Amino acid sequence: MNTSLFTRRSALQTLGCGFGQLALAGIAAEQLARAEVGPVSAKEPHHQPRAKRIIFLFMQGGVSHVDSFDHKPLLEREDGRMLDFADLRSLAKTGKSPQQRVMKPLWDFAQHGQSGLWASNLFPEMAQHMDDLCVIRSMHTEGIAHGPATLFLHTGSTNFVRPSMGAWISYGLGAENESLPSFVTISPSLGNGGPRNYGNAFLPAVYQGTSIGRAGVPAKDATIGNLRSPRSPEEARRQFDLLKELNADQLRQKPGETELEAVLSSYELAWKMQDSAPAVLGMDGESPETLALYGIGEKATDNFGRQCLLARRLCESGVRFIQVNYGDNTNNPAWDQHSNLKKHGEHAKAVDRPVAGLLADLKQRGLLEDTIVWWGGEFGRTPYAEKNGTGRDHNPAGFSIWLAGGGFKKGIAYGETDEYGHHAVVDKVHMHDLHATLLHALGLNHEALTYRYAGRNFRLTDVHGRVVDDLFA
Amino acid sequence: MLVPLMKYPLLKIAALSALSLSSLAASDNAGVDFFERKVRPLLVERCFECHSTEKKIKGGLSLDSQEGWHKGGDTGPALVPNEVDKSLMIEAVRYKNRDLQMPPKQKLSAEEVRILEDWVKSGAPDPRVAVKAAKKQQGLSVAAGRKFWCYAPVKEEAAPVVKNTSWPRSAIDGFLLAKMEAVNRSPAPDATPEVLARRLYFTLSGLPPTPEELQAFLLRFKQDRLTATSELVDTLLASPRFGETWGRHWLDVARFAESSGGGRTLLFKDAWRFRDYVVSAFNADLPFDQFIREQLAGDLLPSENASERRRKLTATAFLALGPTNYEEQDKQLLRFDVIDEQLETVGRAFLGQTIGCARCHDHKFDPIPQKDYYALAGIFASTRTLFNYTDNVARWISTPLPAEAAQQEEAVKLDEERLAALRKELETAQAELRVASASLTAAGTSAVAGTAIPVAQLSGIVLDDSDAKIVGEWKHSTSVRSFIGKGYLSDNNTGKGEKTVTFSPLIPKTARYEVRLAYTHAPGRAKNVRVNILHADGEDTVFVDQTEVPPIDGRFVSLGKYRFESEGAGYVMVSNEGTANFVTVDALQLLEEGAPALKGEDFADNKAAADSKKRVRELDAAIKKAIKEGARRETAMAVEDDLHAADTQIRIRGVERQRGETIPRGFLQVALQGEAPPISGSASGRLQLAEWIASAQNPLTARVQVNRIWNWLFGAGIVRSVDNFGTTGDAPSHPELLDYLARRFVQEGWSVKKLIREIVLSRAWQQAVTPGDASDPENALFAHANRRRLSAEQLRDALLWIGGNLDTSLGGPNIKGAGDVDANNGSAQNIEYAYVFEDNRRGVYTPAFRNKRLELFEVFDFGNINQPMGQRNTSTVAPQSLYLLNHPFVAEQARLTAARTFAQNDNNDARLTRAFTQILGRPPRPAERLSCQRFLASATSPPEESWQQLHQMLFCSIDFRYIE
Repeated sequence: MNTSLFTRRSALQTLGCGFGQLALAGIAAEQLARAEVGPVSAKEPHHQPRAKRIIFLFMQGGVSHVDSFDHKPLLEREDGRMLDFADLRSLAKTGKSPQQRVMKPLWDFAQHGQSGLWASNLFPEMAQHMDDLCVIRSMHTEGIAHGPATLFLHTGSTNFVRPSMGAWISYGLGAENESLPSFVTISPSLGNGGPRNYGNAFLPAVYQGTSIGRAGVPAKDATIGNLRSPRSPEEARRQFDLLKELNADQLRQKPGETELEAVLSSYELAWKMQDSAPAVLGMDGESPETLALYGIGEKATDNFGRQCLLARRLCESGVRFIQVNYGDNTNNPAWDQHSNLKKHGEHAKAVDRPVAGLLADLKQRGLLEDTIVWWGGEFGRTPYAEKNGTGRDHNPAGFSIWLAGGGFKKGIAYGETDEYGHHAVVDKVHMHDLHATLLHALGLNHEALTYRYAGRNFRLTDVHGRVVDDLFA
Repeated sequence: MLVPLMKYPLLKIAALSALSLSSLAASDNAGVDFFERKVRPLLVERCFECHSTEKKIKGGLSLDSQEGWHKGGDTGPALVPNEVDKSLMIEAVRYKNRDLQMPPKQKLSAEEVRILEDWVKSGAPDPRVAVKAAKKQQGLSVAAGRKFWCYAPVKEEAAPVVKNTSWPRSAIDGFLLAKMEAVNRSPAPDATPEVLARRLYFTLSGLPPTPEELQAFLLRFKQDRLTATSELVDTLLASPRFGETWGRHWLDVARFAESSGGGRTLLFKDAWRFRDYVVSAFNADLPFDQFIREQLAGDLLPSENASERRRKLTATAFLALGPTNYEEQDKQLLRFDVIDEQLETVGRAFLGQTIGCARCHDHKFDPIPQKDYYALAGIFASTRTLFNYTDNVARWISTPLPAEAAQQEEAVKLDEERLAALRKELETAQAELRVASASLTAAGTSAVAGTAIPVAQLSGIVLDDSDAKIVGEWKHSTSVRSFIGKGYLSDNNTGKGEKTVTFSPLIPKTARYEVRLAYTHAPGRAKNVRVNILHADGEDTVFVDQTEVPPIDGRFVSLGKYRFESEGAGYVMVSNEGTANFVTVDALQLLEEGAPALKGEDFADNKAAADSKKRVRELDAAIKKAIKEGARRETAMAVEDDLHAADTQIRIRGVERQRGETIPRGFLQVALQGEAPPISGSASGRLQLAEWIASAQNPLTARVQVNRIWNWLFGAGIVRSVDNFGTTGDAPSHPELLDYLARRFVQEGWSVKKLIREIVLSRAWQQAVTPGDASDPENALFAHANRRRLSAEQLRDALLWIGGNLDTSLGGPNIKGAGDVDANNGSAQNIEYAYVFEDNRRGVYTPAFRNKRLELFEVFDFGNINQPMGQRNTSTVAPQSLYLLNHPFVAEQARLTAARTFAQNDNNDARLTRAFTQILGRPPRPAERLSCQRFLASATSPPEESWQQLHQMLFCSIDFRYIE
């Protein structure tokens, strides 16, 4: 994107109502400082997109891939053996890696569907959808602890303050629906990076993610802030009319001020959102069958089921990037089973049905064609036991995620980890590569999607990343 | 191993002689044949994509000629012929080192690796010669850079001659008018006194004038406009509100926050001292050069008394306040990330330079070579910002502060000595106890279930729940009688995820301890109580089922054995997160591994053991008492010089572990005028850095600062890109004016107040807002005033102020419950996550957490405090409108304001005049009055409510949200 040649005011005048276009022109932040206006309108992608939007199901804490989607029979055979593994945490801290005890998976693996892809009975419902999934078994990433790895997953950097992927996508594509934000995160955690994981960093604020609810708050209470007027509809209308009159008179004293006109239209938009947004955020009009499909109404699955159903509704309303979080606010979130790996079972129970339901629902509505569903965590877990021997440590060197829909191949597994499932070795896909690939699917070139800030052009993928073409159908 | 060759001259010789060997080998037909058949196809197939002149030369390495691999890439020669184990390329293809794995996408087959190994073993015969490719020159050279405007010395400038001599009031006006006249423009008319008053009040105090203050000013203005204005300016500059408002500007530049954010957010319990330091520096008009020196090197400056020393130590928090990811496991990487953040912040805050761009390579645009980055990095590498490099979660340094008064200091010192002596005694007594009780064995307790056990009857380190730090509402209970100490705590099965109990045991000696938790069990208890143990080797989570009888004596459950360090930051935190039933917490016990677990009755037959046991208890109690009651040593976040100051090495491509050439500590060459202040071997160089930056000779410092002040006053800088004076930033619209102001600033003793006074009293600053001219849409000529949106704090403070609800107390800590929690304590984090913002103090004091912001701040463009920010962005988004229309905070301030308007005036006309004057700083215009009257007339709700609505709509109106 080129630095714009036209100035803020002339741009506003030229572009008329498309205020968002201005920000999209890629004007340097310093120049933009006073100019940033919204909402953001839709924008042409770099190339023909395969998908229009992403639903990211974030499994916070790190799901064990060797217990779910990466079948390693050797772990069964060598269970309990002490072996040399290059343990990343020990290496980072001490430069040495002591021997580790191999731990077999706690769930049984089987092949599923036409594709015969392996999956364990940790996720029996997802396993029914293997023919629709594109499983990447050779993921690797940066960051050994949750904080750095979670930030890396979202922003492409473990420590530097960078925009989140959803913000980049909003910046690149704008919104399909001007009365809803283009980037939404449902029940995000305050921990492990917190708002930075859906932040805009140096991008204009219009691109930051809007949070609906937060971790620890039941999904049925999750909403966008300040949507409801405390007054009766009539009184709300009456006072809004007064405001419109006051503002109109005040604006008359200073004609031609585009920024002030933008403020006025943001009031109009807010007024419309009060009507339209609650309708999207609610569950109105969903059939009992649909609710059941997501496991809504059942204790174990109700919460995540609601989040997944909301994701589908937002996706129908044109939101570009919807993140659904399964996590909590602690330092050792949800899937982080350093001990008592059995607990993975409880988490699986909470997400399995809703995720499978979401896939089935998207498919039956034809939405899976142009929606990418991305399921995964910030890293995987080690094939060996930790300390007390009942859990697994973090493993950023090799893990699995899956993608579905949006033009990705179906019923395939891509890449391999070594025979223990520790390090990715064949067709490795780095998190930067995944970012590049997902942007590509949305019609964005990760090397061209740049923003000039503090003297240089920034990218989601920094100087890295390659599009993994083999994943596309 | 990635060792820079320079350090190992022997290796270099070996490599050279090997080259001649390989030349010999190259003439060997068999060797070349092997290369052509096996090696070349392999290189073409698997390596050339990234390492050939034709395609790319990643990492500086080309493998398409002998010269290419011999010279090697950024990390040195790729091959050492005959030396398989010394060849980086072989190490890379073997895939054993995670930082060096090639090809990155897929490992070579074992056979392919063997081919390369054999090739190297046989001397790496290679007949290919290099094809030359020209290297691209990037960025500006240092010599060329010296001619670029911002690096050139500040010039002596006099106000130019203008045609309209009646307009200018000061030199500033002359500089501006001259440019306007050059393009046949004239300045805008003067602002009305109402507009001028509101502008001055908001700009200098952050608050609007009260109707009375406005009235008084208008009266005096009528008599003598110039005197009235300058008197008002002096009054506002002298008010403590000034420091709060202008200190806030600097806090933006200092990316001030009270928690680290990032990965695991840690609470900066002492950061408020830095905030207070900044506010009082602005109020006291501390010379700006001194302000710079103190923030960069206050710890190294001499002080005349304790109070000065406190101030200077506190100032260095500037370097420690970054969004550091303390959890990073590679501590050397963390250390470097901290340095990088410091450099970027110092560069932008003081010099308007984007130094961070030169971490990985020479700056692509500005004359900042990578060497300069590492010359500066050496200074910060010789500075300690982290407490140590071993903690699982690192932390900053809490520097003890001398007490304000000598007497107080005496008392604190005495208490510290007493505590140290007690701790020493405790250690001795514990050693004696170990010896005396060696013959005893652990036995089960005979304490009957249903009775209370005093803490004193238990061995090891025992903390009752009353010794723990609690967050959220816990109910104290004694209803189940089996408890330890004074009872136990229950979460009452409410506030799930918001409550924690944290035990921070005092660890007498570094050892492994068994950690036991006491709880009261019952069928209605939670089954999955999360307990986090932060110990010397990391953090563990254990879940406790409280429906089960505690396995140890019906009281305790063991949470496992962990190592704790005596000065470490260990804690055990019980949380009610994710539980669906009652959670109870009774006590914590730590038993040193190997030490027998003893109870009171075991000591009956062993007088010596009983005596030392008693002694241990007494000492334990004495220590606790001393800590609780003793004079407290205050601490500040601060940095200090490292014991080992040293130059650092270039990190190749910015990768911490890839070291290159060592660079002597120094400064930005391009901005050096004359000789650099010398840095002695043992000093970090921070003091010299501070001197260099705070010098009148530095071409950047004063320019950057006066431009910032100008920007905060006008809403736009003379250099628009206020944080970036480099070649990618904007050029000054009025370079002569900028230099005039910079010189003037220095001449006037770097006084911020004098500079502000001079600018706001200029006629240019007092112009009206007008639509301007199409030929200058950005108002680069400053030919009229810019309309400015209220900032987040101005909006919040004004609402509270007008509502009569603003608490104007100055300074001090403002995070409820923070107290003196340990930096690294999990419960400190919960303070942030569960924080309810409810104080009505000025926004500058609002807890500045990085992960949880005040909603108003987040919505109104003040959500992100991770980077230095000389100018905030202004966005216009629907959530702002929703906030003003629907948030209870706005409604409440409207209600309070309306109540007063209503009570103080007896007719609607007077009330409307009052409301408009109070909120907008002017009476209503006829159309507005009419609209309001119609609104009131059509109301069906009680008048208090309609008036509240009316006031709230005024708060929503554009004339409130903007400063003219």
